[in-house]
Amino acid sequence: MNTAIASARPDARPALEARAYSLAYETPDGLVQALKSIDISIPRGKTLGLVGESGSGKTSLAWAIMRYLPRNARELGGELLLAGESLRATSKSQIADIRGARIGMVFQDPSTSLNPTLTLGEQLAETLIRHRKMSKAQAFSEGEALLARTGITRPAAMMKRYPHEASGGEKQRVVIATAFACDPECILFDEPTTALDTITSRQILDIFQRLQQDTGVAALYISHDLALVSRIAHDVAVIHRGEIVERGATATLFRNPQHDYTRALIAAAPRPDIRLSGPAPDTAAPTVLATQDLTVRYGGRSLLQKLMGRGEAAVEGARKIDLDIREGEVLGIVGESGSGKSTIARAIAGIVDFSGTISFDGHVVQERGAISRSYRRAAQIIFQNPDASLNPRQRVGEIIARPLKLYGLAKGGAIEARVAELLAQVRLPAEFAGRYPHQLSGGEKQRVAIARAFAARPKLVICDEITSSLDVSVQAAVARLLVDLQAESKASCLFITHDLNLVRQLAHRIAVVYRGDLVDLFEAADFDAQKRHPYTRALLEAMPPPIHP
Amino acid sequence: MRDLLRHPTGLAGAVLLALIAVMTIFGPLIAPYDPQQFHPLSRLQGPSVAYWLGTDQFGRDILSRILNGARSTILFGLGATMAGVAAGGAIGLIAGAIGGAVDSLIMRLLDGLLAVPDLLFTLLIVTVLGGGSGHAMLAVAIAFMPGLARIARSTVLSVRTREFVLAAQARGESPVYVIACEIMPNTIAPIIVEATIRVSFAIMLGATLGFLGLGAQPPSTEWGLMIAEARQYMFRNPICVAAPGVAIALAALGFNLLGDALRDLTDPRGRR
Repeated sequence: MNTAIASARPDARPALEARAYSLAYETPDGLVQALKSIDISIPRGKTLGLVGESGSGKTSLAWAIMRYLPRNARELGGELLLAGESLRATSKSQIADIRGARIGMVFQDPSTSLNPTLTLGEQLAETLIRHRKMSKAQAFSEGEALLARTGITRPAAMMKRYPHEASGGEKQRVVIATAFACDPECILFDEPTTALDTITSRQILDIFQRLQQDTGVAALYISHDLALVSRIAHDVAVIHRGEIVERGATATLFRNPQHDYTRALIAAAPRPDIRLSGPAPDTAAPTVLATQDLTVRYGGRSLLQKLMGRGEAAVEGARKIDLDIREGEVLGIVGESGSGKSTIARAIAGIVDFSGTISFDGHVVQERGAISRSYRRAAQIIFQNPDASLNPRQRVGEIIARPLKLYGLAKGGAIEARVAELLAQVRLPAEFAGRYPHQLSGGEKQRVAIARAFAARPKLVICDEITSSLDVSVQAAVARLLVDLQAESKASCLFITHDLNLVRQLAHRIAVVYRGDLVDLFEAADFDAQKRHPYTRALLEAMPPPIHP
Repeated sequence: MRDLLRHPTGLAGAVLLALIAVMTIFGPLIAPYDPQQFHPLSRLQGPSVAYWLGTDQFGRDILSRILNGARSTILFGLGATMAGVAAGGAIGLIAGAIGGAVDSLIMRLLDGLLAVPDLLFTLLIVTVLGGGSGHAMLAVAIAFMPGLARIARSTVLSVRTREFVLAAQARGESPVYVIACEIMPNTIAPIIVEATIRVSFAIMLGATLGFLGLGAQPPSTEWGLMIAEARQYMFRNPICVAAPGVAIALAALGFNLLGDALRDLTDPRGRR
């Protein structure tokens, strides 16, 4: 009788549920608890946004639901339910029938979740053949229909392509089409737009929302991006160190956060209306850097390839860029990945060959070889990923002391004192000098990289996406630190980012690059003006609106 | 080190190598007899209380010869590998760090050498230079060079594009500093792993050359040579051949297991 009631009201049962679910990993240092008594419940047709920083356990939960647990995982208790059925109790072969058919999954990076040796069509059809028992011909025609629903204009042609022949956005559409292929009850999204550009992300989210309305699927949407979650989720759960600290309807939770951690997360999200940097320098302030026709070419053919008549011609990473920065100014450069913004940074820092003219701090150079050591001292670059930009075999003290020794800025015992002073400036304790980079957190490492740059007493600091590999709560602190140091030292700053909300907080002027060209340059205050370049406007529209508590 | 002993393969390798190390260092001291002393009355005997592993065709004590031979055999393996690592590593480092046409030229030459099998290559060199332990060691080192250079170069190429190297270049560091202080310390681990595995190949190659009469010369107690000398008497006393054979196999296995464990431990993807 109970089953009759349940089938009469299928919506009564949540599509996906976790009840007091706990998970731990066995490590050489003992049992580490990843999830502590997790309770979530997603009704049909709804999206639950699961927000947390790296290491919070959000991806572990997705793996546990998909039953992709690593061998050292120990489930300590609780239940995972798919439409009321226990997932923990299902056998391996039953799970294989559930994955892809009743639970779909969309991962962060479509280029790693697709098999490079199969065409996109084969991968999509495989799911249909396996779970919906279609013939190959049926599966391919159904696959085309599914692709068409995700907004791919020529689905038949796309089915024949291999993953490397499709763009990131197209690949993610194929993954989404696959996830929706068997009309699942629930789909898990694990940061599905993190690897994509702003405009593409926006399109992907629109497709998801449309498909969800059509199919009534329940979705668990895992992300670290609050602004993005606030746009698409009906309910939000905030996860911190394996525990759900707060949950609620999206609008209420963001308007009136209860838990301290949620408040801190929301406060850390960039808000363009709150400026972090001081007033713009006087228009009479001297120009520190000016580039003229700055062009960077990548690739080109080697001698052997030329002899064989093969190989690709050179690609222009940046084309005829004219920029200038005044003393004490923060110039923001925004653009998508591959737009050439990092290329410009690397040319000015003297790491890549360029043509054109760079006038900087009294030096006028027309080729990389002509860049002198005093130019290099005055122009310091900070990279995106501190894991890669700090030598893992050197101690923090050595790393920060290196520019002091190289440029003769301090000698003997003064070096140690200066290192301690620099560490204090980036708000790190002096004993960090004896540590190796791997003993530090991501934010701490980036502070070390910032200290190294300011150790050289630069006139220009080039920041290449320095916050994008960090967690939200750390990003804000690093951005604030940079602005403080920049104001104190009166250095100019070239701040490169893809985050429009952040750049509006920091920059005095903003340059927009698109496919190697500088398409727009304007005062930060004029951001919303109608006269902006169409590409700038498209970026602005695609951007999730900032959250206001 | 603690991780290594926790790794089951690493522990097995370390135990075997500890045994081999004791033999290498203390072998001549703990050997019950002089390895060259003839005992004409007890030729080709099986194991007994007096001769634990029996005697060879001249009545020499096999156990004593094995214990003495450890030193020449292991030192041969280590020496040949180290020479190969030094030469190959330096070439690979330079080729990878300089890049461009220099890199292409060096690597194409080494590719040519790689096409010749190690054994054939060592035989060729020993034939040209003449036999003997020293020449055989040199030959193995030269044969190892191209492979090690390739590994060193590929490691350098992956390190060279890392951002800390770019940061050093942006600071205006000299190329020597960039190679010696930024690139080289980060290429050591994979080279050590490869070298450890190669020691076992070197021991095998050395034993092969000894067996063919192109390596160590009689009356040396080098294990490969012991097998060669005793092979006619294999059916009268199998231990003459089996004992040095097992010793070679254990030494090679020890280095191989240790190398495998080091590879697992230094590869972050292999860590759980």
